[in-house]
Amino acid sequence: MHLTVNGVAEEVRADPLTSLLRVLREELHITSPKAGCEQGGCGSCTVLVDGEPRRSCLTPLIAVEGCDITTLEGLSNGVELAPIQQAFYDLYASQCGFCSPGMMMASTALLSEHPNASREQIMEALEGHICRCTGYVKIIAAVESVANGSAAGGTNGAVASGGSR
Amino acid sequence: MTAPPELLTPTSPAEAAAVFGDGEGVTVMGGGTILLPELTYGKLRPTRVLVLGRAGMSGLERADGSVRIGAGTPVGELDGAPEPLVTAAKHVADVEIRAVGTIGGNLCATAGASAPRGDLQAPLLALGARITSVGAGGETTEDITAFLEHGTGRLVLSLEVPDGQAFGYARLDRPHTHHYTMLAVTAVRGADGVRVAASGVGARSQRLAGVESALAGGATAAEAAERAGEGLDLPTDALASSWYRGQMLPLLVQRALGQLG
Amino acid sequence: MKAVGARLPRYDGLAHVTGRTQYVADWSAPGMLACKPLRSPHHSARIVSIDTSRAEAHPGVRAVVTHKDIPKNTVGHLEALGVPADEPYFADGEVRYKGQLIAGVAAVDEATAMEAVELIDVVYELREPFLDIRKALDRDAPQLTDKGNIFFYDPYDHRKVTKGDVDAAFEKADVIVKGAYRPSAIEQAPIEPQGCLAVPESDGRLTVYTCTQAMYFTMGVLAEHLGRTPGSIKLVGGTVGGGFGGKVDSATEPCAALLALKARKPVRWIFTREEEMLCGSVRASWHVEMADAISKDGWLLGRKVLTLHDAGAYTRFSSYGATKHSFHLAGAYTVPALRTRAYVIWSNHVPTTAMRGFGVTSASFAIEMQMTRGAAVLGMDPWEYRLKNANRPGDLMPTRKALEDPSTIDTIQACATAVGHPLSATYAEMKNEERAGEWLPEHLLDQAADAKLGDPQGAAR
Repeated sequence: MHLTVNGVAEEVRADPLTSLLRVLREELHITSPKAGCEQGGCGSCTVLVDGEPRRSCLTPLIAVEGCDITTLEGLSNGVELAPIQQAFYDLYASQCGFCSPGMMMASTALLSEHPNASREQIMEALEGHICRCTGYVKIIAAVESVANGSAAGGTNGAVASGGSR
Repeated sequence: MTAPPELLTPTSPAEAAAVFGDGEGVTVMGGGTILLPELTYGKLRPTRVLVLGRAGMSGLERADGSVRIGAGTPVGELDGAPEPLVTAAKHVADVEIRAVGTIGGNLCATAGASAPRGDLQAPLLALGARITSVGAGGETTEDITAFLEHGTGRLVLSLEVPDGQAFGYARLDRPHTHHYTMLAVTAVRGADGVRVAASGVGARSQRLAGVESALAGGATAAEAAERAGEGLDLPTDALASSWYRGQMLPLLVQRALGQLG
Repeated sequence: MKAVGARLPRYDGLAHVTGRTQYVADWSAPGMLACKPLRSPHHSARIVSIDTSRAEAHPGVRAVVTHKDIPKNTVGHLEALGVPADEPYFADGEVRYKGQLIAGVAAVDEATAMEAVELIDVVYELREPFLDIRKALDRDAPQLTDKGNIFFYDPYDHRKVTKGDVDAAFEKADVIVKGAYRPSAIEQAPIEPQGCLAVPESDGRLTVYTCTQAMYFTMGVLAEHLGRTPGSIKLVGGTVGGGFGGKVDSATEPCAALLALKARKPVRWIFTREEEMLCGSVRASWHVEMADAISKDGWLLGRKVLTLHDAGAYTRFSSYGATKHSFHLAGAYTVPALRTRAYVIWSNHVPTTAMRGFGVTSASFAIEMQMTRGAAVLGMDPWEYRLKNANRPGDLMPTRKALEDPSTIDTIQACATAVGHPLSATYAEMKNEERAGEWLPEHLLDQAADAKLGDPQGAAR
């Protein structure tokens, strides 16, 4: 089955009812989408399908045949970060980091449709995403900083002095 | 290892009906939000799966006094459908799940292990939706009450929901979480009287016979609410206890009836 | 010292935001097998027989392990702290909780492993489960062990703390406030389910990728179970997708390692969310009965506490948790006379374990509820009642240790300011200093003097 993942055309061999999550993680070794529950209840598996946020653990491969899939790895080259990544980094929106990919992907989808999303819109977009570490405050603040333009931006600010690689 | 299931991938409603046949041995997949976890966890090992994603069963059509909704319409794409269906739908899970979970899947959802599913059955019951389905005996269109009574086994093609009826809707929610409906009441005034239905009162949503009967007999909202629990065996599950549901149901009934005006 | 006070980025921040952080399930190894467990469907049963032959013969299965395969099945995690080992890793002869591990299967993929698990035949003889710890002393309660259901804190069957003369305090009291507090079990529920990947190396050593919160601890436990030296095991980990105490029990490593050694292939076992919620250890439920003796002008004179702690089917760390609980039963306040008894009780629930503030959150809950209730009965402002009885430098803890620098007063005052709760001048101006003047009532004149101990045998403990 044909898929495009982070801009790369892939031919995957998994059974058509295999979840997209397992296809990404096990066959393509793209591991940022996480198996937090595999029931659609935590949001850590969220990826973009043709730009829309989807629970990859609930998405059968057959449903995304021919689609464009974007995961966190596809948001940037990892050195020059996307604004949402930079904001999560600068504002400490990650503790253990496990929910972060899903949070960032859902936020990316929201901000591409509502670049100046309000706090209410952000909270609604992240309604189905659970974080057990941070208490959500810094996550919302990070997304808000991108939405209201107060974020540092995402070009070369990736590694602040003192940060490690 | 068990062989993977045979996939049926119709590209039209007619083809879907044809491959469904009488439904024997067929597992239907709408959005997949209920089915995928069962497959992943090895709880279901279907032999034939009917994939409806590209069967063209999605969309809303306005007719005279009613709206026809394709069974494959995602729950998040019901804008324009009669209220309180749209409001109830906005409370289903979260935005990502609403984008793929279908109204047909929600209508036909069986009870989950930890909580009842099928959040939209109650608004549809109260609205007097008519369900067009196929299966053994061919195609039928019937009132949703009758459809839900004869259980699973049919493939829903579309729902027709009368438009413009006065409604009331009241629900219980846990704050800041998304979850299957804990308890929600819909009241709708139709041509033949007031229909009242509740979700979260059992494996399937139910019409509140006691309340309807009281109202038909001229009772006030408060009096009718006292009969809210009649005939119900309220569940204790992961979301709420039977006792709690029993306390809250009459309050929600009163609130919903109060909105009817 | 340029780091102190500086705003530094997280050292793992870049990896987190680029999705490159490796959690245990992100590791894979060539030829990796999937492990799935057979778990008890019953709360309590004798195991009559286990037959794994059909599972072993199932196509795609590479190994099956039970208690017969593990060099040392029962390993005490806290033997160094005097907690005797009582929990078999694989069930042997009986199951004591629903979800208890009986066997592990390694197969070419998860679906095959799950099918094979269903082919393991176990014959059970059901027993009546013991599920309400309040009935621990009932003669007809089902007994989990041949020594009963209560953990023995040699020489007592409970952890006790006795300080001062509690009976005198209750006789003197103008007001007695009683409450029973029952915080329920809590699942740590990290978003990352626990698990590991065990890789047998060609030189005979074993590498285990793990999400444990306690690397050396798990290494020691694993080495003992496997009958190996710690030096023959390499653990790779330290990246935990949330733990909160739920990833200290080394639940998956022994089984995955045994299967890997038997199959001579890497074996991965990651809990499903269902396993995490239903079978993974939890913070215990507690039953705490507390009675406070209070003078009419608001001095907390004494406290009696009876605690029942639900350890679940095995001790794990419960005796340690109940000990911590006991030492904290005065909370942030000075209670001159204290008598506490904490019972650790085995039940047919999932074994309980640590979770943030192990043993102390239940104490805090009960204490703070009591303080608020006490204030309400006295007609006193609950903030001021707390300040009046707050720990001060020189006050004694329940264990008679003198406090050097408690921060109760400063903290309560800061909180009152933060939420805009007005304190009367006396309390707003209260200083965090050794007792003197109006803050030194007669009954606190000399806390160190052992005027009368409540338990004649307690002195040495």
